Amino acid sequence: MSQTRDLIGVAWSGLTARKVRTLLILLGPVIGVASMVGAVGLTESAKGALQVQLAKLGTNLIIAQAGGTFGSQNPTLPSDAVRRVDAVSSVTSAAATTNLSGVISIPVQGAATYYEAFPVPVRAADVNLPAVLQVRLIDGRWLDAADSQLHLRSVVLGSGIAKQYGYLPGETRTIRLNNTNFGVVGVLGSVPLDPTLNNAAFVTQWAAKHVFSTNGKPNELYIRTRNGTTQATAGAIPTAINLGGPDQVSTQVPSNVLAAQAQANKTLQKVALFAGLLVLTVGGLGIANVMSISVIQRSSEIGIRRAVGHSRSKIGAQFLLESLFVGVLGGALGALIGIGVVYLVSSLEHWVVEIGYGQIPIWMGLALLVSVIAGLYPSIKAARLEPLETLRLG
Amino acid sequence: MSTYDPGWATDPGASIDPTGRLPVTDSIAVQPLLELEGVSRVYGEEVEIYALSDVSLRIMPGEFMSIVGPSGSGKSTMLGLLGVLDLPTSGTVRIAGQDVSALDDPRRSKLRGDSIGFVFQQFHLIPHLSALGNVETALLYRDIRPRDRRQRAYDALERLGLAARADHRPVQLSGGEQQRVALARAIVTEPLMILADEPTGALDSANAAHVLEIFSGLGTPERAVVMVTHDLTVADTALRKVSMRDGRIVADERRVA
Repeated sequence: MSQTRDLIGVAWSGLTARKVRTLLILLGPVIGVASMVGAVGLTESAKGALQVQLAKLGTNLIIAQAGGTFGSQNPTLPSDAVRRVDAVSSVTSAAATTNLSGVISIPVQGAATYYEAFPVPVRAADVNLPAVLQVRLIDGRWLDAADSQLHLRSVVLGSGIAKQYGYLPGETRTIRLNNTNFGVVGVLGSVPLDPTLNNAAFVTQWAAKHVFSTNGKPNELYIRTRNGTTQATAGAIPTAINLGGPDQVSTQVPSNVLAAQAQANKTLQKVALFAGLLVLTVGGLGIANVMSISVIQRSSEIGIRRAVGHSRSKIGAQFLLESLFVGVLGGALGALIGIGVVYLVSSLEHWVVEIGYGQIPIWMGLALLVSVIAGLYPSIKAARLEPLETLRLG
Repeated sequence: MSTYDPGWATDPGASIDPTGRLPVTDSIAVQPLLELEGVSRVYGEEVEIYALSDVSLRIMPGEFMSIVGPSGSGKSTMLGLLGVLDLPTSGTVRIAGQDVSALDDPRRSKLRGDSIGFVFQQFHLIPHLSALGNVETALLYRDIRPRDRRQRAYDALERLGLAARADHRPVQLSGGEQQRVALARAIVTEPLMILADEPTGALDSANAAHVLEIFSGLGTPERAVVMVTHDLTVADTALRKVSMRDGRIVADERRVA
């Protein structure tokens, strides 16, 4: 027991005596373990954030789009598409939007040239669209029945467009849509499940019909279903809308995209894990290299120790223990840095921290294993060193 | 003008017997501390080079001896064999009657640590350890409690007048002080034999004289002190002088103190 204590003391003093060298050989296991802890932690945290977002947004939203026929410029759905969809028993609510092609929106005098070149999409939307999307207004109000009944020219801006127009909350703003003034009545909050809505301006179905002379046929439907029936409903919607007619309808479940994103993060995690493993292996080679050089540099010390009675096995164990300490210290330091990075990035990105603490001992063990294997050759080399050669007698 | 005469008397037989074997009259009831019997050390495989050739030597307790010879005479090889840092190609090396070739490395290392204290020309102190730490190195792996080990190391340093320098690292010590730390490391285990390789080789004359004075005082009735040197003046401070040439002992002389 006391000999083991002596051995630990000798190995520890060997490491602490050469701080720069020790720091250099620590880099391998530190970076390796930190990248593995960080990679898994960050991807899990990001996935956690996505899952929280998904839970908040719900996974029961379907977007049905008009597919049109070959060559059609602006394919549409039947005018009573919402009613047809509402007839599906698993549908809880639905709202339609219509793309108003050829409508130019100009927010301020003198900006016509720019916005004619880069037109903002204008859509006619149902009054229940925010309810179906489960999105709140960040300013003002949404379009309501009164706007249609009183023939008011009201417009609601998407959150991205409001920012682009420099719209201030509560501001009284009039914008021009194809030379007709519309009053901004509100700003729709961000729509993560369909970000295209953030960059659109919304008018009533009445305005679409009477100001911009559309046929009142929607292009897109946003549909909420009962939980657990989303995929089946998405499959049934095209038939429910076209009822055997010529209209092509496609559906998508946007939450699937987010779920796929989480899956993509899993792939990224594997890549990062592999990179960490690679760093650890390269770090191991670094340890073997630096320690081999160290054995040569410390040959005099080895000779002295042999001369005062330390056996070959003690010398070998001393160097192996130094590698083991490098593995333990590097692994622990790497894990701490990895955890720190996950906390830092998660706090910056507003993610919920997800760290697989159960896996950390495995990576630390891996760092230890790599360090010990890396230290084997230098240790054997040190043990085999002939004291007579190192002490340069006579 | 009289010439310097340390008063050497040739040991009868030593220079006559080409094998360097000591005469039977030297073999008394006291067991030799160290005994070389017909020892050869050959280097190289295809071309064999005899660094030592059929050498016999006995070192008795209480002896203060020097091994002297020019470069290439086999002194260093002899030192390696006497210090159990090397093994003979043929012949027998015994320490306190024990054949060292018959021991495995751990037991041979223990025997070396217990029986021999080394002092080297270049001091060979471990640079990152303090003077105390360097002396303590010789007491490691002996199941000694750290506190006792430290105390014994401190006592050895104190004996050599270095107690105040115990916490200094080798670079903070003068050459003479470093050699005294090496001496403290050599005596701290109370070895049977102190084996010194050119102990004054790296010192100025004042420090060399001081170290030699310490050396002469290290011997006890149970302990032998052996210096390997090429310097005749240093060799002449010993009471027994073994001269070597071409891997053989050519003279074994003694003088009365």
